[in-house]
Amino acid sequence: MGGSREWTPYRDRMKEVLDQMGMRELGEWKGKDIRKAGEFSRGTVRGGLRAYTAEKAEKIALGDFTINGELHYGLCTIIPGEEYDLPIFISRWEERESEIGILVDIMPAVDSLIDEEYRKKYLESVEPLWNRFANLPGICPEEDDVLRALCSIVYTAARVPIENPGMRLAALAPHTEYLKAYLAFFKDAAPIGGEIKKRETKRKREAIRKILSARYREILQGPLGVSLKSDIAELIPHIFF
Amino acid sequence: MARVDFKDMVKFAEEIMVRHKLFEGYELIPLETYLGKDTRPAWEFKTPMATGFYKPYLIKGCDKIEKVTIGELHYMNRAKYCAINMTASDDYDLPVFACEWDEMAPRIGVTTDFMPVLDIAVHPEYREKYLDPLGGLWRKYRTIPGFTIENRCLLQRRYGPWPWARETLSPYSLDGKVEEKEDRYRVLEATVEYARVWLNLLKKAEPIRDSAYKEEMLRRKRTMQKYYRDRDPGGEVLKKIFGEEKAHLFVSLIF
Repeated sequence: MGGSREWTPYRDRMKEVLDQMGMRELGEWKGKDIRKAGEFSRGTVRGGLRAYTAEKAEKIALGDFTINGELHYGLCTIIPGEEYDLPIFISRWEERESEIGILVDIMPAVDSLIDEEYRKKYLESVEPLWNRFANLPGICPEEDDVLRALCSIVYTAARVPIENPGMRLAALAPHTEYLKAYLAFFKDAAPIGGEIKKRETKRKREAIRKILSARYREILQGPLGVSLKSDIAELIPHIFF
Repeated sequence: MARVDFKDMVKFAEEIMVRHKLFEGYELIPLETYLGKDTRPAWEFKTPMATGFYKPYLIKGCDKIEKVTIGELHYMNRAKYCAINMTASDDYDLPVFACEWDEMAPRIGVTTDFMPVLDIAVHPEYREKYLDPLGGLWRKYRTIPGFTIENRCLLQRRYGPWPWARETLSPYSLDGKVEEKEDRYRVLEATVEYARVWLNLLKKAEPIRDSAYKEEMLRRKRTMQKYYRDRDPGGEVLKKIFGEEKAHLFVSLIF
């Protein structure tokens, strides 16, 4: 692949699945204008990062960018509305010529060790997918200790070696399939019944978002952030978490 | 695939206590009563199907320990079900150090971990204090053949299928099936190194002063203990061999 390489259509495929949510695009988030990230070009970096809202969701964020024709980075998160006990969805895509790093998960909004009912409803029901992707080449634990510590028992991570073009779509499948399974939870989601559970989910979701934001700020201090230029790099935690 | 004869299987307790001298500098005192039960029937047992021991201890001069248990069950000269567990007393929030070691001719199935007694997403400082010190060892040992096969690292794919058990694991668990004899010894070495980290953390541990935090910790700790004591399939085997009462004692000592 050269500078004109064709990347896997991560953003388009995820958007196709997300469209069933009836999303409305956000121009700002918590007082900060995010429109300039919608489509951007900075030197050798090109991409688009957008946030949306929808029924039962506080925020849905999806985007990708390419750096110097060498890296295609994608991210998708869904933060449910505060009234619902739904987990947080996260998908990360790091595509290079010879390998694609992936992480996709449904992060519980409660302590799913203790709350068995929650675990059965939102995590064990996704186990068939977890098992289905167990044979993906390059399957491995998430490398980032901080992110791995947030992951549920059904996360899928891998560094998929690209031995033929079909491997790119094989690496994309966990993202779209987990996303479909996750969105199915939205249909039946009802507001949380009790105050205790409401407090618990709020506490855990805020903790996860805080950790993800802080971790991404750290990551963006490195080469990824330097390539992106500071104005876009700064917006990433804001848009996605 | 390697096959290891029963007589050549890892002498789990001896390796840990004698060769690796894990508790050198500590004086282990037998724990005679646990959860109101006399533990002595577990110290040595012999039935037509199984022989072995589960020996629970306290550490002399250390009030931070609920129990340290090390044990082996030899099943019909075919398999060994071994374990080492170190659990801090309820005033301390240390993770539970647990190693389950099931050895058969073709392989061992093993889980070694510091099982967190708090939700580490809500308490990231807990992860930093008690779990992140394992990062270097985890990276060193995760490449042991069996944990990693043909560039696929299977540590996230626990060999046991039970979701409740996966929930108890930390991000640094060493968990899987290992076949070759020399690799089994490497897993044992990893287990000892994890245990040494735990013992160092024990030295530094301070009692919990926040009652709400303690309540949260105990809730999770009790849930974990209940899961393993009530649901671990190994408990069913113990029931068949020893009867309900003794089996419950043994499982409580192991976890």
